[in-house]
Amino acid sequence: MSSDLLQTKLYMPRPRPSLVPRPHLIARLNQGLHRKLTLISAPAGFGKTTLVTEWIAAGERPSAWLSLDEEDSDPARFLQYLVAALRTVSLKLGQTTLAALQSPQPLPPQAILTPLLNDIAAAPEPITLVLDDYHEVADPAGRGADPVGRAVRPVDEALTFLLERLPPQLHLVITTREDPNLPLARLRVRGQLTELRAADLRFTVEETAVFLNQVMGLNLSAADIAALEARTEGWIAGLQLAAIAMQSPIAMQSPLSLPGRHAGTADFIRSFTGSHRFVLDYLVEEVLQQQPDNVQDFLLKTAVLNQLTGPLCDALTGDANGQEILESLERANLFLIPLDNERRWYRYHHLFADLLRQRLRAKNARRANARSQSAGECDIAALHIRASEWFEANGWELEAFQHAVAAHDVERAAHLIAGEGLPLYFRGEAIPVRHWLESLPETEFKARPALWVTYASVLTLTGRLHDNIEEILQAAETALQDAAPDDKTDDLLGQIAAIRAMLAVTKSQVETIITQSQRALELLHPDNAPMRTTTTWTLGYAYQVQGNRAAASRAYAETIAQSQKSGNIMTEIAATTCLGQIQEAENQLHRAAETFQHILQIVGDPPWPAACEACVGLARIHYQWNDLEAAERYGQQGLELARQLENVDTPAACGVLLARVKLAQGDAAGALATLAEVDQFVQEHDFGHWHGEIAAVRIQIHLHQGNLTAAAQLADSHDLPLSRARVQLAQGEPSAALELLETVRQQAEANDLADKRLQALALQALAHQAAGESERAMQALGEALAQAAPGGLLRLFVDECPPMTRHHSMTRHHSMTRHHSMARTGAPAAAASALLREAVKQGISPVFAQQALAALEETDVFQPQTAQPLPDPLSDRELEVLKLLTTALTGPEIARELMVSLNTMRTHTKNIYSKLGVNSRRKAVRRAAELHLL
Amino acid sequence: MKARHTQSEIFEIRLQGHLDTSWANWFEGMAITLTEDGDTVLTGPVADQAALHGLLKKVRDLGMPLLSVCHIESGQANGSKDEA
Repeated sequence: MSSDLLQTKLYMPRPRPSLVPRPHLIARLNQGLHRKLTLISAPAGFGKTTLVTEWIAAGERPSAWLSLDEEDSDPARFLQYLVAALRTVSLKLGQTTLAALQSPQPLPPQAILTPLLNDIAAAPEPITLVLDDYHEVADPAGRGADPVGRAVRPVDEALTFLLERLPPQLHLVITTREDPNLPLARLRVRGQLTELRAADLRFTVEETAVFLNQVMGLNLSAADIAALEARTEGWIAGLQLAAIAMQSPIAMQSPLSLPGRHAGTADFIRSFTGSHRFVLDYLVEEVLQQQPDNVQDFLLKTAVLNQLTGPLCDALTGDANGQEILESLERANLFLIPLDNERRWYRYHHLFADLLRQRLRAKNARRANARSQSAGECDIAALHIRASEWFEANGWELEAFQHAVAAHDVERAAHLIAGEGLPLYFRGEAIPVRHWLESLPETEFKARPALWVTYASVLTLTGRLHDNIEEILQAAETALQDAAPDDKTDDLLGQIAAIRAMLAVTKSQVETIITQSQRALELLHPDNAPMRTTTTWTLGYAYQVQGNRAAASRAYAETIAQSQKSGNIMTEIAATTCLGQIQEAENQLHRAAETFQHILQIVGDPPWPAACEACVGLARIHYQWNDLEAAERYGQQGLELARQLENVDTPAACGVLLARVKLAQGDAAGALATLAEVDQFVQEHDFGHWHGEIAAVRIQIHLHQGNLTAAAQLADSHDLPLSRARVQLAQGEPSAALELLETVRQQAEANDLADKRLQALALQALAHQAAGESERAMQALGEALAQAAPGGLLRLFVDECPPMTRHHSMTRHHSMTRHHSMARTGAPAAAASALLREAVKQGISPVFAQQALAALEETDVFQPQTAQPLPDPLSDRELEVLKLLTTALTGPEIARELMVSLNTMRTHTKNIYSKLGVNSRRKAVRRAAELHLL
Repeated sequence: MKARHTQSEIFEIRLQGHLDTSWANWFEGMAITLTEDGDTVLTGPVADQAALHGLLKKVRDLGMPLLSVCHIESGQANGSKDEA
C-alpha cells in the first residue's frame, strides 16, 4: 500500500466532540492497564472503537493504533504494520526489524518479534497498542470463509508469541467482532486479561437518555426513550440511526437538508417499536429515504470503496462535489470516519458500508430484472472499474489491482499486475497476486496463457518451489500453441524459458540453465527488463559453475547495473553474491569480504534469508584468515538463514565450512558428526554435486587422525586429485603426488582457476621438500606465498600439514606420536614450518610467511588434543568427561555437572573406555595420564 | 457425517428480526422466510463448511442476532456447479 494510505491504517480516529460519557467503562479500561491484554469483543455497532479512542484521548500513555483489514491476514504484512504502528510512538522501536520485513521470502514471525520485544522492553515509558477490527484477520489462504479444523492462523500464532513474552512496558488492546484464537483462558486464569463484551458496552437507559436528548439534541420523553432502548436493546448503531431518522432535517446542513420532514417523532417510535423488522435494516432505509436523491446516489455508489477521498468519489459519481458531501456527511454523524487530520481520506463505518452495499446490489438487481439480463452486476463492476482507473492514474497500483479484481475484470487485473516497468509481484505484493490467481477458475487461465506464466513466476519468486511449477509451465506452453506468433507470444515463451532456467539453478543443472537462459534472452521482449535481468544472472551463474569466471563476472556486472536501474533488489543481491564468490575464488579475499559485507548492509539486521550465501562466504574468508571464531559465527548465521529457504544447497556449504572449523579446532569427532548431517541433507534434497566436497573434508579428517587406509579408500572412490595427492604425501610417496599435482596445476592455469592453482602450489612445495628437492620446494612455496599474501590465505598453509606430520609437534609430544608420524610420512613432516622459516630467512614474502608460521604454531599450542596418540581420538565432550572421571565425583554427580542424563554420561564413559582400551574408571585415569591427555 | 464435506447441504439459519426479501442476493440465493414471531429464516443449499462459515460471517458483520443453525438434509447431486 502506498505510504499515505498506509498512514490511514495507523491513524487513531479522534473522538467526536460530543460523546456520551462512559466513566464506568473508562475506569475498567484504566484498571486493566497493568494486565497484558484488554479484549473488547462485541458485534458491529456497539461503540468499541469509539470507546477506545475516547479512553486513549483522555489518558496520557503514548499509544499506537492499527486498523486491520483482510490483507493483514498475511503475517508478513501484519507484522510490517505492527512495527510501523509502534514506530509512530518511538522511532527507536523496531528499527532493526524494518529491513527484515522487506524480505520477499518471509521470515518466521519469531525472528522479527524477538528483536522487537527487546526494543519494547527497553522503552522508557509504557505504551498502549490497539489492534482495531481484529476479526478481519482470516486464514491467509482461504480468504474469508475458512474450512473447519484449519491449523492456527499465522497472525494468531504471531500474536500469541508476542503475548507470551510481552514486556510490562506494552499493553495490548484488541477490538473484534469475534473472540480471537489466542490463549484467552490462560490469560484469564492468570489475571492478565480485561474483557469488555456486548453486555458491558450496550447503552443503559440512562446513557440512551443522554445520547438521544443531549448528544443528538432530541427532546424525548422517558417512555419514548425506554421504548427505543428496549427495541434496540441498547445497540448503539441502532440508536444512532434512530436518532438521525428523528432529527429535524433543518439541523443538517446543505447538501443534506431535505424538503420534507419526518411525519413525527411519536409516529416514528410507534412504527419502529411495533415492527418486527431487523433494527438496522429498518433504520437505514428510514435514514436513506430522508436524504436528497443526489446524496442517496452518492452513498450507494461510493459504498464500493474501502477508503474515500473527494476526487475519487467524483470519479465514481461523475459529479464534482465529493469533498463537500463527505464533509457534510461527517458533520451529520452519518457513519463516516475520518482517516487523517486533513479531511482527505475517510471510510464508512463497516456496518453502514455493508448495508449500503446490500442496497446497491438490491437496487441493481431490481433494475436488472426490469431490463432483463445482468445489467445490475455490470453497474457495480463499472463502479469498481472507475475506482481502479482512478487509483491507477494516481499511482496506487495495488488498490487499482484490488478494484479490478472486485470488478471481475481479469484482463485489467492482469494488466495491473504487469505494471509499468516492474511487475507488482516484484515489489513486495506477491501474496495478494498469488491469492487472486489461486481464486481464478481454470477457464480463465486457458483463455489467458499469460496468467499461467505469471503464476509460475510468482511461485518461483515466493519460494513455493514444491508446487509443481513445471506442470504449470507445460500448461502455458500447450495453451500458447494456438496463439498468434507475435512479440507477445514470444515474450511469454521467453518468460517460460527464464523460469525454467531459474528452477535449474536450484538444481545446479548447468546445461539446462544455459540453453533455457539463451532461449529466454532471444525471445524476451527488449522492454521486459525484470525478466531479462534475472536471466542475465542465471546465465552468469551457469558460467560460474562451469568455471568460466571472466564470462560470469561480466554477466554479474551487467545484472547489478540493470538491477540498480530498475530497483530490483533481489537480483542485485543474487548477482553481488556471485561476484563475491568469484573474487573469493580469485584469492582476492579482502575484496570478496567487502562485497559480501555490502550485501549484509543492503539486507539489514536481522538479514533476509537471501543473505545466507554472503554469510557462508564471509565464514570461508574468516576461516582462511584463521579467525575461526568469526568463521563459526558467520557459518552458523548462514545456516540459520538458509534453513528458512526451500531448495537451496547453502546448508551444505555451511555444514562443510563448519566441519572444517571443528577440525581446525581439533574436534575431529565433531567435524565428522557435522559432515554426517550434511550427508543426510544432501541426500534428502538431491544435491549430489556436494559429494566431492564432503569427501575432501572427510579425507582431511582421516589424515588428521592418521587413518591412512580410510583416507586412501575415499580418495580412490572420488575424482579428487588434490586429496589424492595429500594421501600420497602422507603415505610417503612424494613423487606420485608431484606427478598428480603438476597436472592439476597445469589444468588450473589453463582454465584460469586461481584458487585451485594456489592449492596445488602449496602442496607441491611440501611434496618437493619431501622428495628432498629443497630448491624446487622453495620455488613453489615462494610462488604460493606471493599468491596467497594479498588475500591473506593463512589457513592454506596450516591445513596442508595434518598435525601429526608437523615437525615441531613431535618434539613436544609422546614418543608414540613420533613413531606414528615418522614411520609413515618421513621428510614432509618437517616441511611446513621448516620451509616457512627458510622463506622468512630468504626474504620471500617474509611478513606473510612469518604470519603463516605463527598461525601454524599457534594452532598446535592451543590444540593439545590434536596430538592425541589414539587411532580414534576422544571428542571434546569425552575429554570433559574424562577430566571429571579423575575427580572424586560419582557418576550421577558428573552427569549433573555436565547437565546430561545419567544414560548419556554412561555412553560417553563407555566410548572413552573403548577408545583407551580399558575397562574401568581407575584404568582409564591411569591411561589418560600416560598419554598426556589431560 | 461421511458425505458432508463434499456434497451440497441444505441449511436453515434463523435470525432475530425481519429482513427484507431483497437480502436474498446478499445471502447468496438463500430463500428468505419471515416468521410470525418476528424471526427471519434463511433456507438453502450450502456448498461446504467453508461456505457455511462465510454465511455466518455475513450475519455477524451485520450485527444480526443469530438464533440457530440447522442442518436439514443432504442436497441432491447438483454438483456440476459446485465443482467449477
